[in-house]
Amino acid sequence: MSATMLTFQSNDGVDITIARDVAERSVLIKNMLEDLGDTDEAIPIPNVNEAVLRKVIEWCEHHKGDPPSTGDDDDSRRKTTDIDEWDQKFMQVDQEMLFEIILAANYLDIKGLLDVGCKTVANMIKGKSPEEIRKTFNIQNDFTPEEEDQIRRENEWAEE
Amino acid sequence: MSKRHYEDGDPAPRPSKRGRQPNIISSLSDELLLHILSFLPIPSLIVCQRLSCRFKALAEDSEIWKRHYYHRWIRPRLANVRRTVISHPEVRYSPNVSTWLDHGHLADEGRTMNWKGQYRLRHNWSKGICRVSEVEFSHPYGRSALVAFCAGIIFTVDRDYWLRAQSTKIPAYHLSEISLAKPRTPLVALPTALTAMVGSRPNTIEVVVGFEDGHFGIYNLDMATSALDFHTTCSGSTSGSITAIASLYPYVLLASDHKALSLFKITNDSDARSRSLPKEPALLSCLKADSTLEPLSISIRSVGSDIISSIVYSFYHVGCGWSLGIQELHFSLSELQQKCSRLTTTVDSQYGVCPPLGQIYSRIDMPCTWGATNIKSMRPAEPAIHHQETPTSVSYSHPYLITSHTDNTLTVYLVVSTSAGLYVKGAQRLWGHTSSVSAVQVSDRGRAVSVSSRGDEVRVWELETLVSAFGKQRARRHGNSIRVSPENRQSDASELRSSSPTKANALLRTAGVPHHLPDISGCIGFDDQRVLLLRGKGLDVHMLECYDFT
Repeated sequence: MSATMLTFQSNDGVDITIARDVAERSVLIKNMLEDLGDTDEAIPIPNVNEAVLRKVIEWCEHHKGDPPSTGDDDDSRRKTTDIDEWDQKFMQVDQEMLFEIILAANYLDIKGLLDVGCKTVANMIKGKSPEEIRKTFNIQNDFTPEEEDQIRRENEWAEE
Repeated sequence: MSKRHYEDGDPAPRPSKRGRQPNIISSLSDELLLHILSFLPIPSLIVCQRLSCRFKALAEDSEIWKRHYYHRWIRPRLANVRRTVISHPEVRYSPNVSTWLDHGHLADEGRTMNWKGQYRLRHNWSKGICRVSEVEFSHPYGRSALVAFCAGIIFTVDRDYWLRAQSTKIPAYHLSEISLAKPRTPLVALPTALTAMVGSRPNTIEVVVGFEDGHFGIYNLDMATSALDFHTTCSGSTSGSITAIASLYPYVLLASDHKALSLFKITNDSDARSRSLPKEPALLSCLKADSTLEPLSISIRSVGSDIISSIVYSFYHVGCGWSLGIQELHFSLSELQQKCSRLTTTVDSQYGVCPPLGQIYSRIDMPCTWGATNIKSMRPAEPAIHHQETPTSVSYSHPYLITSHTDNTLTVYLVVSTSAGLYVKGAQRLWGHTSSVSAVQVSDRGRAVSVSSRGDEVRVWELETLVSAFGKQRARRHGNSIRVSPENRQSDASELRSSSPTKANALLRTAGVPHHLPDISGCIGFDDQRVLLLRGKGLDVHMLECYDFT
């Protein structure tokens, strides 16, 4: 009989206890539990701090009933950047948190959350001019004006 | 506590945070950024290339573009194909290129494929966007122009009987030239036909020149050294002048004035080197004809261990006017002999009748003749497609057969050739041109290019979806061609560019046709990137127009 509750420790030393089925949304943790067997000790999550870990757990709690991702390169999920309402609200965080969530989802291997995070960023890019995007994300323009103009001209075909 | 801090965002400390970590997005790995970019539509992806050097490299990622290419150009075709092919479970994008329909030619070229470039090319074809460049050349006195197009190289025979090779890259540049008079001085017979094919090695092109007296010469162009050399010559099988040549290395198919079709094999390059004189091409097979009329089209293709030579010719049928006859000649490479010859016509499909599979009438006649046809089948009284005048041109690239007509239309047929028989499945008129159509060319991948006789309208057709809809409601009758509108042609190109074909036509009518354009006298050919047209300029000067879609 496997334990139903598990304890995780964030990299800033805070213990959080959650149900096993919620934790298993993370493929990393699922595989780790399969390898280690049952444990009563707190499992350290070295790359994620408490705030981010709580956010990630909140998402996993909400989505624990979702069907598991098929794992292969599913194309249909890329067709749209539509995000369901709950996820949209969930992603209303500042940019630093948003990227922390993406990094944590990537590290913990939670495909659904990673996609939601990336779609959120994609939506922040969509429909903006290069200058607006640079401003939004604080990206340094390292092109010379000539280079930028050249790239713009090369890609005129795609502007419809 | 700290969760609240992130969610509500204390306005004061944030700018200082940004100050320490000015560029969070750039701290992400390439892999994660690519994941984000993969959700973007193409216009946003293009915008991302302008952000910074790193984003430019990422947004040009071939895998992302491959995915878009698949979505835009492959996936929509699956709906058509699934009805005919066994339903494939992998209808979504798969990195396994073997599941890509008919795109082996893209996969073959290796992993360095630039999918963004491919997407752009396909996009430009679909919108008719291209740039046109012109090369002037003088053709032989009193003869039709001799031009061939192969692997991006244009071959011409000019009035001094020099064979010239030119690259189609912009700007066009001269590669090499050789006098046709060289091997036998002076020139006793005039050149009448020209074709080019990729040779024994990937970097060589074999050029076949047919002459008035029935002999033909073979020249090869080494692309690495840009040298055009004389290879061999052959006296041919008849004395009639050669009117058409088709080739598929090492085979050459010739049609001559005296209504004979002959298949030759060129001896291997290495064989030729070992001897002092190159061996003459060997005659494999010959077919005599009694009653064929221009225009005709000959082609050659290889199927398994067979070489199939075909000739398509026009003839007059009392019931449905001008029709086409198709004769196939199967030559077995393993047995080195002719296996069979089969004949069919477009008459039944012009009446809207498709022969049931059991009753395919394809004659196997060993005393080879072409021309006469025996047709017996249940037909409606009136043909659906009736041609009063001879087609202006015929192009056949298996399985597509297409003809152009003076009544502003084209007719496309689907030719089915199986071990059981040869027949024509369905016919369809194509509307779109607003004046008489003078020439058409089709490729085996179902793309066709047609030109109007006045030279003011060039159209690109994608036949695959159309052919699969044969016999059904033709809802898309007007929507399957696109007018080619070069961006750099001064006239009214800006108005016409990227507008829908119907809109472009309407504009053309109101704006008036620019009359300075001389007639187009032929469509030489096209490949994945370019269309090559021949435009008459004066009595003996021609312009070669190269429409570049890259």
